[in-house]
Amino acid sequence: MNDEAVREALHSDARLVIIEAPAGCGKTHQGAEYARQVGGATKGRLLILTHTHAACSMFADRTKGVGSRLEIRTIDSVIGQVAAAYHSGLGIPSNPAVWARQHNDGHAKLAVKVVTLLKNYPMITATLARRYPVVVCDEHQDSSGDQHAFAVAMLEQGSKLRIFADPMQNIFKKDNIEGVCAPYDWEELKGEADRFATLDVPHRWRNGCPELGEWTLRVREALKSGGKVNLKEGLPRSVIVVIAENAAQRNLEYRITGSHRKPVDNFESAQSSLLVLTRYNDTARSLRAFFNRRIQLWEGHTRGALENLTDAVASANGDPGDLAAAVVEFLGKVGKGFSRSGFGDRLEQEAREGCARDCRGKPATLQELARFIVSEPNHHGISKLLRRLFELKNDDATFREIEMDCHREFWDAVAIGGFASMEDGLAEITRRRTYSRPKPSDKAISIIHKAKGLECDSAIVIPCDARTFKDTKESRCLLYVAISRARRRLMLVVSRDAPSPLLVLP
Amino acid sequence: MSSPIICQLLIKRFRSIRSLIWYPANGLNIILGGGDVGKTTILDAISLVLSPVNITTLSDAEYLGRNVLDGFSITAVLFLPPGSGIDDQVSPSWPWAWNGKERSVPTADGPRGETIDPVYCVRVSGTPDLELSYEILQPDGNSSPLPVAIRRAIGLVRLSGDDRNDRDLRLVQGSALDRLISDKGLRSRLASELADVGVKEHLKEEARTALDELDVSFMSQGLPSNLDLAVTGGQGISIAALIGLTANRDGIQLPLSSWGAGTRRISALAIAAQNQGDTPITVIDEIERGLEPYRQHALVSKLEAGKSQAFVTTHSPFALQAANNASLWYVDHTGAIGSLDAPKIRGHLHRDPEAFLSFLTVVCEGTTECGFVNALLMRALSTTTKQYGIHVSDGGGQESALDLIEALASGGARFAAFADNEDGKHPERWKKVEEKLGPLLFRWTSGCVEQNIIAELEDEKLELLVIDPSEERTGMRLRTLAERLGLQQKDFCSIRAEVKAGIRQLIIEAAIGAVPESKRAAEKSEQKVFKSHARHWFKTPEGSRELEQKMFALGVWPKLKSQLLPFCNAVRNAVGLQEVQDLS
Repeated sequence: MNDEAVREALHSDARLVIIEAPAGCGKTHQGAEYARQVGGATKGRLLILTHTHAACSMFADRTKGVGSRLEIRTIDSVIGQVAAAYHSGLGIPSNPAVWARQHNDGHAKLAVKVVTLLKNYPMITATLARRYPVVVCDEHQDSSGDQHAFAVAMLEQGSKLRIFADPMQNIFKKDNIEGVCAPYDWEELKGEADRFATLDVPHRWRNGCPELGEWTLRVREALKSGGKVNLKEGLPRSVIVVIAENAAQRNLEYRITGSHRKPVDNFESAQSSLLVLTRYNDTARSLRAFFNRRIQLWEGHTRGALENLTDAVASANGDPGDLAAAVVEFLGKVGKGFSRSGFGDRLEQEAREGCARDCRGKPATLQELARFIVSEPNHHGISKLLRRLFELKNDDATFREIEMDCHREFWDAVAIGGFASMEDGLAEITRRRTYSRPKPSDKAISIIHKAKGLECDSAIVIPCDARTFKDTKESRCLLYVAISRARRRLMLVVSRDAPSPLLVLP
Repeated sequence: MSSPIICQLLIKRFRSIRSLIWYPANGLNIILGGGDVGKTTILDAISLVLSPVNITTLSDAEYLGRNVLDGFSITAVLFLPPGSGIDDQVSPSWPWAWNGKERSVPTADGPRGETIDPVYCVRVSGTPDLELSYEILQPDGNSSPLPVAIRRAIGLVRLSGDDRNDRDLRLVQGSALDRLISDKGLRSRLASELADVGVKEHLKEEARTALDELDVSFMSQGLPSNLDLAVTGGQGISIAALIGLTANRDGIQLPLSSWGAGTRRISALAIAAQNQGDTPITVIDEIERGLEPYRQHALVSKLEAGKSQAFVTTHSPFALQAANNASLWYVDHTGAIGSLDAPKIRGHLHRDPEAFLSFLTVVCEGTTECGFVNALLMRALSTTTKQYGIHVSDGGGQESALDLIEALASGGARFAAFADNEDGKHPERWKKVEEKLGPLLFRWTSGCVEQNIIAELEDEKLELLVIDPSEERTGMRLRTLAERLGLQQKDFCSIRAEVKAGIRQLIIEAAIGAVPESKRAAEKSEQKVFKSHARHWFKTPEGSRELEQKMFALGVWPKLKSQLLPFCNAVRNAVGLQEVQDLS
């Protein structure tokens, strides 16, 4: 109903236009259509600011042919670009991306610095505003106070701002660091807008299950207004609720026993396009085992373990023992089976002792691995070690239990061996990933945070219990994000023993 | 600010300039200075760094001492208006902070109360391979290429001193006319049109035969055949460059380049102004070239009224006289450029523009000094002062003379000065001037020229001083003396009898137009009568010459020689003459 109003608001001369954009209601479509029409026509460039590379790739797909007058960037990369331009004045090295990675909350700290710089020097913001007379802010609810201040600074210097935001998809924690701008208040921002409109047509479900779309919007309304999601009545047929209790012993792992898992298995095997969504990383890896490793883990764009490895290699300073410890740490994060007791400790010991011991069998194989980093105590050695380890996993019974959950991250680490410096390698691999814009496979397990912006025919949200979805604002948002991914069918695996306070169970 | 402005110019090892740093003003900059000091080089440097075309040929003469290995560079810190296209390049360029003195990288702490303008830093370098490289220096320490499109958008307009150059009246790539017409397809359309012109048909019989024979010869050697002639462009010869602006003169369309130099130059400026609509940086070497005084005046006024920054050299007093708001600069013989503090010299510029254009200007405090010094220097040089490019200029009184002298000294100009020392005002300022000028500054230890000469005159020669050789003023002089005494008799004997020994002091007071003690409280008009006495003595061009002659004729010179001769010799030195022992 409101699509035309939204379109009209976007194309108006108003400086600040804010669109409330629930998931699946054509936000990207509207944004991309606006970009296509305005991108070629205006003087200067149109800038689409996103928060994720996934969103960049989505906009890129939908704006093909607009040409070089349209730039689609993550807000962090634009902030990083300003930081790089003035790095000496900000007291940081010439590559802020590296700096940001090496510091806790690096990107947030960078944003604080850049926003301060822009406040002190409106001329820099003016340069940006002339370069980008129109700025579309995608998923603006994910903006930190500083990212928001960055956009507002451009508005003040003459850019037109087109903000798409869904306060119900505000799932990323805002960093609390020194000097940071307070997060903006949604209602206050709405008040400042020259034009405000809401998208309310569930387009995502038009070719899937329209009833599911309507229901998802009702769920959103309930969660937004502090109410509960009613699973007792009014459910469309496409929503299946399974009641099952988690039998796993270890914290955050997940297991269902016996007949309880049958409906889940049946549902999984019946789908060709599926996202298994869960809140926590450890649960996601545990779900890999749950589905017998048939379903890959969606790794998203970030490579946390690899970044940690890079930093550890830098601080190891050529010490083979420290390098071995870093590799063991890395393997623990990207896969399972390469335990400290079974493999890691011995590998590290061999590396520290320079592979001097006489040994046979499994220790000899570990010594062979350690020798790679003893003779080349750097990322080249590590790369060879990892490659050999992968061969052993297939050829050597002792290593057969080793499993990789994060394949891409593992192979990125191998690929870094091909670069002269590890920092450069990481930067280049990141750059390539930015351009190749990988997508999850047809079926994937993902944490909810990494699934934001994705969609598929079917989704399983598992588990929906008291631990995952408490009655907090964050949990309300996470639950809504998870539910709104599926176009045709949705399965919610709920717990009666530990029910989520956000759900009314059947 | 809506026009591009060069805030700072840095030249290194370009032609004769080893190193020059300059902070030009907004608006019109007039560069003065002697011959071969590098005025034109500065204009050429500006033209090169902002050249709207990529220049392909570079001669080793562009390098200091022809030393190509060390390269040269011209760096300009530029303010660029929003329309310059700098914000529209594929890779972004970032502004530096400019505080009026230096560019700096904006810091996290902010400008701390300083007023900051955004500037860009562009540089052209001559490489050891005789190539030019254009770059923008970015605040991150890297540089990126400076696209020709940005230089074109800045739209430098240049009128060189070179008479034959009419490129701005032709469709040469990057010329003002080319930018105005800016019809991208024109070249190729013309090329195909002209290719169809049947040149062969216009050939005489023998010529056509020769071409046919060549064709046969080509064919037999397996070379391309079916030869014909057509209009074609080629390396360095563009067809479009043959197209020039024409205008009607007495019913015939003639190329504008056949008009006079002045008209050609003004036309080129008009094209540029039309073209930019706004405000190109304008560079004009020898603005007076080809222009009558009234057109010089009009052109300078136009440049002053415009919003754009302009750089002009001139040797013309008319052009200088027209300058009201311009900033004046002086390039000295070491190649350094200094500001001639404009407000201090504005009045003088209008009264006596030659003072800024001569080889050596001698600033004198007033009328008496002016004539006196001119006569003295003619004696010292044994010829006219003009012969040596010396201009003796009337400073117009102590205050304005000191202002002018200070302005010239801080600008590094070449000059001498001749001043009184009547009441010991501004000791500090004079001390600084003295340090700068050395023996080229002459200042009486006390009093003025009349006082010093009359004081040294023997008693019996005092009457001779009163007598005007032309007889015209003798009577008036006696009358000024009598008036001061309230005496009816106006002959020298009666006057002397009245004041006795006081006659010398009486003559001095009349000659300098002193107001008597008793009249200090009187009406202005009454005081004026006494002041006007000086005009009947030496405070005129003729009178001051007379005073100089009498200094020698009445035997005063030997007593003042030790003071005045060093000054005369300093001036001789300045124009390349040896010192003399005495004057006669």
